[in-house]
Amino acid sequence: MIQYAAIILFVFGFYGLLTNKNVIKMIISLNIMEIGLNIFIISIGFVYDGIAPIISSTVDAGLIYVDPLPQALVLTAIVIGVGTTALALAVAKSIYSKHHTFDLDEVEEAL
Amino acid sequence: MSAILLIAIPLLAAFLSIMLKKFAPYLLLGVGVFNVVLLFLIPEGFVILGGFNQPLGINLLLDTYSKIALMLVNAVVVVIAFVNIKEYSKFSSILLIAIAGLNGLILTNDLFNLYVFLEISAIAAYLISTSNKKPVKTFHYIIIGAVGSSLFLFGVVILYAMFGTLNMVDLIQKIQLTNNYSQLILPFLLMFIGLGVEVKLLPFNSWVKGVLGESNTLSGPMIASAYAAAFGFVLGRLITNLFLFEGSLLTVVTVILAVGIVMGDLMAFASNKAREILLYSSVAQAAIVAMLFVNGIVIWAVYLIVANALSKLVMFLVVNKAVKDVGSDEVNKLQGLFSKNVIVGLAFTLVTLSVMGLPLLVGFTLKLRYLTELASLNQIWLIAVILVASLIEGIYFVKLLLKLWYEGQEKVEVKYNVTFKVVFVIIAIALLTFGTYSTPLNNLDDSIDTITEVVNNG
Amino acid sequence: MKNLFGLVISIILGVIIILALSNSASFPKFGEVDLADRVSDQYLDQANIDDVGSANIVTAVVVGYRGFDTLGEVTVLLISALGVALILGGSGKQKRLDLKFKPNFMLRVGSKVLFVIILMTSLYIILHGHLTPGGGFPGGAIIASAILLMYLADDQFRSNIKGFKILEGTAGSLFVIIGLLGLLFANYFLQNFIPVGTVGSLLSAGIIPIIYVLIGLKVGSEISGIVDNFLTEEELI
Repeated sequence: MIQYAAIILFVFGFYGLLTNKNVIKMIISLNIMEIGLNIFIISIGFVYDGIAPIISSTVDAGLIYVDPLPQALVLTAIVIGVGTTALALAVAKSIYSKHHTFDLDEVEEAL
Repeated sequence: MSAILLIAIPLLAAFLSIMLKKFAPYLLLGVGVFNVVLLFLIPEGFVILGGFNQPLGINLLLDTYSKIALMLVNAVVVVIAFVNIKEYSKFSSILLIAIAGLNGLILTNDLFNLYVFLEISAIAAYLISTSNKKPVKTFHYIIIGAVGSSLFLFGVVILYAMFGTLNMVDLIQKIQLTNNYSQLILPFLLMFIGLGVEVKLLPFNSWVKGVLGESNTLSGPMIASAYAAAFGFVLGRLITNLFLFEGSLLTVVTVILAVGIVMGDLMAFASNKAREILLYSSVAQAAIVAMLFVNGIVIWAVYLIVANALSKLVMFLVVNKAVKDVGSDEVNKLQGLFSKNVIVGLAFTLVTLSVMGLPLLVGFTLKLRYLTELASLNQIWLIAVILVASLIEGIYFVKLLLKLWYEGQEKVEVKYNVTFKVVFVIIAIALLTFGTYSTPLNNLDDSIDTITEVVNNG
Repeated sequence: MKNLFGLVISIILGVIIILALSNSASFPKFGEVDLADRVSDQYLDQANIDDVGSANIVTAVVVGYRGFDTLGEVTVLLISALGVALILGGSGKQKRLDLKFKPNFMLRVGSKVLFVIILMTSLYIILHGHLTPGGGFPGGAIIASAILLMYLADDQFRSNIKGFKILEGTAGSLFVIIGLLGLLFANYFLQNFIPVGTVGSLLSAGIIPIIYVLIGLKVGSEISGIVDNFLTEEELI
């Protein structure tokens, strides 16, 4: 179920990107899309009754761990998302200072 | 001497260049030359990172294929950096990271690592496109690029969930064990679309017009030549080794690419702006390259990428310099550009004729060879499509050349300095030599292997 | 019309992905993953744990097995910080954006107390990255949040951007240099060349904590630099 929810979130973000014309709203849609993807990545590593993959001092052979690799991947994906978002926001700020609007339709009308 | 230095040294230089802003341009040139020299010294083979073996850690693969790609990309970036060093010295650190990103993209043998380098090079490309001073276009590029790489990551993650590994060699072996092909369509398609955005394949390339149509002497050659070549090689690597296009999926992909070839050339035909003609022609060329890879004609696709990268380097440099001095990219405003710059004009003409595929030039040899190969695969209608596209291409390029050679009413004053001229002449001569004397090309024919063959040969 | 088109495309995309995944036999159902089929199984192997020496296996994967990815990740942050500075920072002198309110005495002093506490927390998180959840990236982000707090609570505050640039460059270079030392002293780039110690103690896992501290400093200074770029504007003379 969670996987479906993640895919639906991804699709919501995609829809937002296709329909919005406001720069800030587009960046938010992009972030929603990335969050959906990140939840999906985490979900493929989940194992029922699994615990976080951290070795504790109480040694117990019967412990089930969840898959550590997707968690490492999602860390990378989040950081890359942060970088893209910061860059997109900076470009948005320069769009605003050049055209005095965040709306791409208005920018095109002005040209 | 290990291939990792090709990525580590540019990164180190990039980190240092933040602190030593003044020396950044020299660091860039030094690193570029160092990389080109290093490429002649390092041995081929797998490069293990961190001391962890095949599926556990990440590793790099340097074979003939990636070596050709690295030589081309590094040399092209050095030329672009050298030509632009005075005007765009602010972009030195970014170009350093772009070198590291593109080298990593070509070398890596791990799908997630490929995604990381895809993002590094893509972000560098967004920043290079800011030199056009058109923030709205850059914003479009960022959004489309980010969606593309998200889709690529989605495909990679699905593959990991299915096969439990990210290493390409391991993955290829595991995929060969399963016979259920239909399950792989979704991840392959997602990854293909994700890369297609950067490779400029047709439905996903709406960013190209905004970015290359407004480009300058830095962003134009960088994105149309260095980036196009690197992404072309990566796409080829994935298509020939990983993606299995079969049955209906093959038909769909081929039709999309064929439409892309014709549409690209038609749009170039319809345009009367010099930069738009060039960018649509490179869209069409990218589709041809992808088509050759899909049909398994690897070696000629590789040569086509190399020839295209060199030609587009010259064409974008010539046109963008002229556009900058004249202030408009309407072909009519540029009339008579070459009547004063005969050397540049000759080089540009040779390069253009090579792209069109006229005899005596590399383009002709390539076109003849891949059409023969396609004929032996019985892809008659594909050949027809490419021939029709070449005809359209020929018409608009000849039109462009005539306009640029014959003087109009207005005088056009463009000065190319010596660096530009040397670069143009060298590339034009290279295209001419390899066009008439193609034996070395034929010799390389057999030495490009797929990853599986590399593994089997040790 | 355009919205409808977007809606149709999005729904088609979602339905295709969901149908393809639910009908696929190789794609495991949620929670029913068999780790034995995956590489991760080997990460959980006792011999490999002793080899890498990190009690937190996610950290072992992030900085150890896939340390090269992390180097790339750090580069992504570097290039976006560079880009933000390039796009927003003009050639002239930068000055602070004005706040709409005047911060009073309580706010200024209180935020300074909070600043120190946040900084200590972030250091703890960075240093224990190989033992507990956390590490360089969250720790660095927390450092940047402390700087952001100072920017919001004090309208005169301007952090030392030049210092951040130097810190960022040094930390990044040291990361690559540690990797190259691995190539020199051991055999491979980024290979561990320091004894790993006992799993679970603070001084263990070889180069992993060192790299994580560098990443923490780098991420902290980079995001702080981005914050500064967004909260300043070119001085009009």
